[in-house]
Amino acid sequence: MPETSISCTPHSGMARTGWQRTALSAVLAAATLLTSGCAGWVRDNLTQAPTPWRRVQPTALPVTLPDSRDFPIVAARMRDTGAVYKSYIVVLGNPTVLPGENRLSIDVQTLPDSLFGALVQPPRVFPVPLYTMETLLATTKREFPGMTVKVADAARRNRYGDYDYVTTQDAENSCVLAWQLISDHKRMLPERIEAVRLEYRACGIGSNVRALLAPFDGLSLTLPETVLEAQDLGAM
Amino acid sequence: MTRPVLLSALLLAGIAATAAGNCAWAQANGGGRALAPGVKVEVAPAPGSGSAPAAGKVDETALRYYARIGDGERLEAEIARLRALDPGWEPPKDLFAPQPTTPGVDETPFWNLLSAAKVAEARAAIAEQRRKSPSWQPSDKLLQELDTAESAGRIRSASDTKRWQEVVDAAAAHPEAVACNRLDNAWRLAEAYAELKQADRAFDTYRTIVSTCPKAKERRDTIFKASRYLSPDQLRELTALGATANPAKGEDYSTVRTAEAELETGRLLERLGNAKPGALTAADLSRIQGIVRDKQDADGAIALGWYFQKQKNFAEAQSWFSQANGWAPSDKAAEGLVLAYNGLGEKAQARAAASPWKGKSSRIDQALKAVDPPRGSGGGRSGPQGPSELDRALARHDFAECLSIIRSSIAKSGPTAGLLQQRGWCLLEMKRPSEAEAAFAEAQAMAAREPAKGGQSGGGNGAAGTTRTPAASGLPQKATPAQENAYGQAVARLATGDTVGLTRDLPRANMTPAQKAEIRASLMATEANRALEDKRYNDVLRLLDARKELTPEPRNLGILRGWALYNLMRFDEAYAQFKSVDDRLSTEESREGVSITWKTIYHDW
Repeated sequence: MPETSISCTPHSGMARTGWQRTALSAVLAAATLLTSGCAGWVRDNLTQAPTPWRRVQPTALPVTLPDSRDFPIVAARMRDTGAVYKSYIVVLGNPTVLPGENRLSIDVQTLPDSLFGALVQPPRVFPVPLYTMETLLATTKREFPGMTVKVADAARRNRYGDYDYVTTQDAENSCVLAWQLISDHKRMLPERIEAVRLEYRACGIGSNVRALLAPFDGLSLTLPETVLEAQDLGAM
Repeated sequence: MTRPVLLSALLLAGIAATAAGNCAWAQANGGGRALAPGVKVEVAPAPGSGSAPAAGKVDETALRYYARIGDGERLEAEIARLRALDPGWEPPKDLFAPQPTTPGVDETPFWNLLSAAKVAEARAAIAEQRRKSPSWQPSDKLLQELDTAESAGRIRSASDTKRWQEVVDAAAAHPEAVACNRLDNAWRLAEAYAELKQADRAFDTYRTIVSTCPKAKERRDTIFKASRYLSPDQLRELTALGATANPAKGEDYSTVRTAEAELETGRLLERLGNAKPGALTAADLSRIQGIVRDKQDADGAIALGWYFQKQKNFAEAQSWFSQANGWAPSDKAAEGLVLAYNGLGEKAQARAAASPWKGKSSRIDQALKAVDPPRGSGGGRSGPQGPSELDRALARHDFAECLSIIRSSIAKSGPTAGLLQQRGWCLLEMKRPSEAEAAFAEAQAMAAREPAKGGQSGGGNGAAGTTRTPAASGLPQKATPAQENAYGQAVARLATGDTVGLTRDLPRANMTPAQKAEIRASLMATEANRALEDKRYNDVLRLLDARKELTPEPRNLGILRGWALYNLMRFDEAYAQFKSVDDRLSTEESREGVSITWKTIYHDW
C-alpha cells in the first residue's frame, strides 16, 4: 500500500495541526452523531424498562415458604427493572373456585453500584406508601370482585416486622391481601439493599384467616446477604 | 399505553421549563369566575363574545400574520376578538394585500416559531433581535401570544404528569391559555378539578366550555370528555346547554344533543354486560333493544344475547346472537349462538352455527365442548339425556361452577385427560393462568398414558381426553388431544406474560398450523404493545404488519397502530388510521385519536 503524503511525525508542526484538526473534527462528528441519534442509538434508554417476565425454578427465589398443602408453589417468575430492581412472583395453589391467582410478590430494590447507575435510575416499581385507601379499594375490587372487604384494624407481625392486610369472606371462602415494606436498611437490611416490598394474596376454603396468613407469617427471605429478622433486633 | 401526548408533552415540558420564571403573566380579563378565595380562573369566552372594551388602537399584528399564512379559521377568530375589543373597528381592506415591511423589524420569523409551538426558540430569537436592535420592541400581541403559549405548555406539562393543582394554578395565572381556541387545555383544567375532587368546579368548567365555545364538534367532544367525571344528570344539563346556549351561525347543534343518547347507550351496554338477571328495568331494556336494532350494532346485539343467556332465556338470546351474526358474522356472535342453541337443546343447530368457525376459532372450539362435552363426569352417555351439569355451567359461563363440578367429578371417579383439559380452560377464564397451564400439562401427561391402557377403561370415556366425537362429526383439520393441550398451555403462558419463553418454544410445539398462527399473532400483538411502551414505534408497525399477514387486525390494535404512526409524526397516516377505526365503530379511544391527530395537524390546540 503506498504511503500517504501526510506525515504524523511529532516534528512536523503543520502535520500536527492537521492531525489535531482531523481528530477534533472526528470527535465533533462522533459527538454530533451520537447526540443526534444517527449512530445506531435508540432514542430512549430502554435499559431502564422492565424486562419481560421469565420463569424461574422455586429454588431460585429469594424466599422460602413453609410447606403448605393448600398453597403449594405452582409457578415462579422474575424480571428486572434496570439494574436496581428485581421482581419475583410466586404463584401459589388456589383451592377455591374464586377467580384470581394466589401469589406472593417480592420486589427487591438494591442500591446502584456505580455513579451512572445512581444518576440513571428507573422509576420505582412500587409506590410508597404502598397503598392509600383509594388504591387499596381499587386493588381489592380487582382482586376480590363482588366480595366485601374489611381492612384489619391492627397490623400483624411476621419475621420482618409489622404488616397490614385486608380480609374478605363469602359463604364458603375467605381471602386475604397483605403487604409489607421492609425498609430499615440501617438495622435490618444488608448494605446493598434499599428496600424489599412484599405482597401476598391468598384465597382459601373456610373462614380461617390465620391459616391463610400462615405462609406470609412463616416466610423467610433468602437474599444473598442476610436480612436480619425482627427477633434479632429485640423490640422493634 | 403510551399516550398520544408524548411528543407535545416532551416538547412543551421543555418549553415550560425554559420559560419558567420569565413570563409576565397576562391578567385575567373581566368576567372571570371566582373559583377559590382569591383565585379567579375562567375559560375565556369564544372570540367575539367577550365584553371587555379596550382603549386605543387595536393591534393588528396577529391579524395580518394569520392573513399572510392563510389560516382562515384563526383569522376569523382574531377579527371577532378585535371587534369585541372595539365595536367600531373594521378589518383593514388591504388585509390580503402584500404589506410593506413595517418599519423596524419584521416579526414574521417570530410568529413562525410561535406557530410551530417553538416558544423558547421564539423568545431566544426575540432576545437576539433586541440585542441587534436595542430600540426595537416586539409587538404587544406577540408578547401576549408567547405568554399564552408558555402558560398553555405549563398546563399541559402539569396535566401530563398529573400535578393537578399546578394545572389549576397555571390556568388561574393565565386564563387565556384555557380559551376556546385552546380547548384541550380547558379540558385539562376541568380534568384537574375532577381529579382534585372539586366536582362542582369541574362541572362549571365544562359548562362554560359548552355554552361559550361556538363549534358544535367542540361542544360534543366536551360532553364525551366530561362523561368520565360527571353524573348522568349533570351530563344531561351539559347537553341541553351545549345544544342551545349562544348558538353560532352555521353550526348544527343536533350532534351535541345526540351525544347524550350515545353516552346513554354506552352506559346501558356496559350495565348490560355486568348486569345480574333482572338488574335492568324493562324500560332500559326496551330502549337499548331499540337502539341496537336501529344502529344494527352487532356488539350491542351480542351483549343483549349474553344478558338473556345469563337469565337462561335461551330463545331470546338465540335471536340476538343470530341478529348479530347476520349484521356482522363473527366467532363471538357464533359462540353465543352455539351456546344458546345448546341451551335450547338444539344440538344440530348449535353444530351448524359453529361449522364456519370450527377449528379456526378457539372460542368456537370451546363452545362446542358444551355441545359435545367431555365425558367422564359421572357415568354413562349423557348425550340423549340433554345437557349435563357441566354443559349447563359452561353455557351459563359459570366457570366457578365448572371448577366445582370437575373437582367433585375427579374426587368421585378420578381424573381423565378430558376433565383436566376442561379444568384448564375454566381456570383460564377465572384468570388463573399458572394453574391452567399446570392443568393442561397434567392433561397432556394423562392423555399420553390413556392410550396405553388400550381403551379398556371406557374407550369412549374421553378418547384420550378429547371432548368431541370427531369421526362422527367429520371434523377437518381437527386438533389432536395433545395439540389441544399444547395450545391450552400456550394460551396460559401468554396470559402469564411469558412471551420470551413462548416465542422460543413455539416452533417446536405440537400444535396445528392454525393454532400456531393464532399464538404467533397474539405474541406479536403483545410484543407490539410492549414496543409502544418502549417508544419503539417502527417496531410497533413492523410487528403489526407481520401480524396482519396472519389474521385481520382488531380495533384495539388498529388504535395502537394509529398511536405508533402519530408518534412517528406521520400525522396524516395516523389520522386516516384513527378515522377508519372510528368510522366503523366510534368509541372514546377512537374519537380521542381522531381529535388529537386532527388538532396536531392543524395546530388547533
